[in-house]
Amino acid sequence: MRRPDPPSLVAGAVIAALGGLLLTERLDAVELSFGLLVPICLATVGVVLLISGLTRRG
Amino acid sequence: MESHDDQNPTTPEPGDPPRVDEQPPITEPPTTAEQPAAATAAPPTTDPARRLFRSREDRAIAGVCGGLAAYFRIDPVIVRIAAVALVFAGGAGLLLYLAAMLLVPAEGTSSAQREGLTGRALTIGGVVALVVATLVLLPGTGSDWWWGGPFVFLAVVALAALGVWRLVVGDAPRGSGAEIVRRLAIGVGVLALCGLLFVAAAWAGAFGGGIVVAAIVIAAGAGLIVGAFTGGARWLIAPALSIALGLAFVSAAGIDAGNGIGEREYRPQRAADVREAYELGAGQLIVDLRNADLPAGDHDLKIDIGMGEAVVLVPRDVCVASRARIGIGAVDVFARHDTGGVDIDWEELPTAPSGTARLVIDADVGLGVLAVAYERDRFANGGSGAFDDDPVRLAEEPGNDACQGSA
Repeated sequence: MRRPDPPSLVAGAVIAALGGLLLTERLDAVELSFGLLVPICLATVGVVLLISGLTRRG
Repeated sequence: MESHDDQNPTTPEPGDPPRVDEQPPITEPPTTAEQPAAATAAPPTTDPARRLFRSREDRAIAGVCGGLAAYFRIDPVIVRIAAVALVFAGGAGLLLYLAAMLLVPAEGTSSAQREGLTGRALTIGGVVALVVATLVLLPGTGSDWWWGGPFVFLAVVALAALGVWRLVVGDAPRGSGAEIVRRLAIGVGVLALCGLLFVAAAWAGAFGGGIVVAAIVIAAGAGLIVGAFTGGARWLIAPALSIALGLAFVSAAGIDAGNGIGEREYRPQRAADVREAYELGAGQLIVDLRNADLPAGDHDLKIDIGMGEAVVLVPRDVCVASRARIGIGAVDVFARHDTGGVDIDWEELPTAPSGTARLVIDADVGLGVLAVAYERDRFANGGSGAFDDDPVRLAEEPGNDACQGSA
């Protein structure tokens, strides 16, 4: 089996999770604010960059 | 057994003819005065493997400018002047220099080391983003992290610069300067495309398509996961993130274009005409109650605006109590301007003496300002430059004198 690409795998997981969070907000299940969403989005970008960097270094 | 001179060198004796491999190479015809030596040299060819390095010899700080000058074959002073000028252009030069320090390898660095440097830069970028995110999320800083605004902005700008620079030099562009310009154009184009997707997602979310956009984000995430096993899906990361961020912005601001976009002004002339709620998706909402003649007692007023400015003008004999939730923006109640920030929960509930009307404002503002004042255009004659283009200029005077205990 082909070895998975870690950046794509992690980015896909966090983006799908972010999409799920936004979907629940749209369905009025949760209420989102800038104070919560900004760090979540920053963390998403940070995780993607981090895993890309670590993969390259590895 | 055949003997090879190169394997068994022998010492030549004096008088021996020179060996073939010792004979002088065939040279170009001697140059004449009309043919200078430089003209006979091999014509300059495009070096297919020309790379951008940080110069070790011509360096003031980290050799970035010296390396760029060597790459473009220009005077390093020109590059340094341009870099200093860019430092004063919003700090762009500083960010680009730092990015170059991280991403451009030093002269003489091996290919493996260069790959390690790029990985280190991405790792540092990721760690910085996570640290900022953690600081913002720390307990106790929740709604008071406006101080972090500039850091967040800088982090976003740095990440964008990192991305463009990565596209420009991350894969070590070969060839002439045209190649680096081409890659720069690609980087800017990718950023523009991402911006377009951001706006499109925000627009769709504001007009009721949020569920569909969220589903697209989930599908893109799933596509990335599948692509991780099949290969070739990394290109999807930037567009998917752009779409997600666009929808996230609209969700956090609570923008609902179904409530309308533009400027709306309401001037009820009787208390009975005052609505319980005034809503606007994006734009400017003005509720002028100065002629409403509100009777004694409490009057609830709900304001809901996604993005823009909500202005409530009240008569001087009315006590104003206010609650507001602001995503990003400010509360400006009777000329108090110190309430700006992110996720503001504003509450000021003074009581009114008996026989006095009290207006209880309950406002939701996603991105923008809630303003309460007695008058408008009062200080227009003063020529306050900061507000000269503002269609609604409010009286810069404290107020709420009608409330209990007010001075």
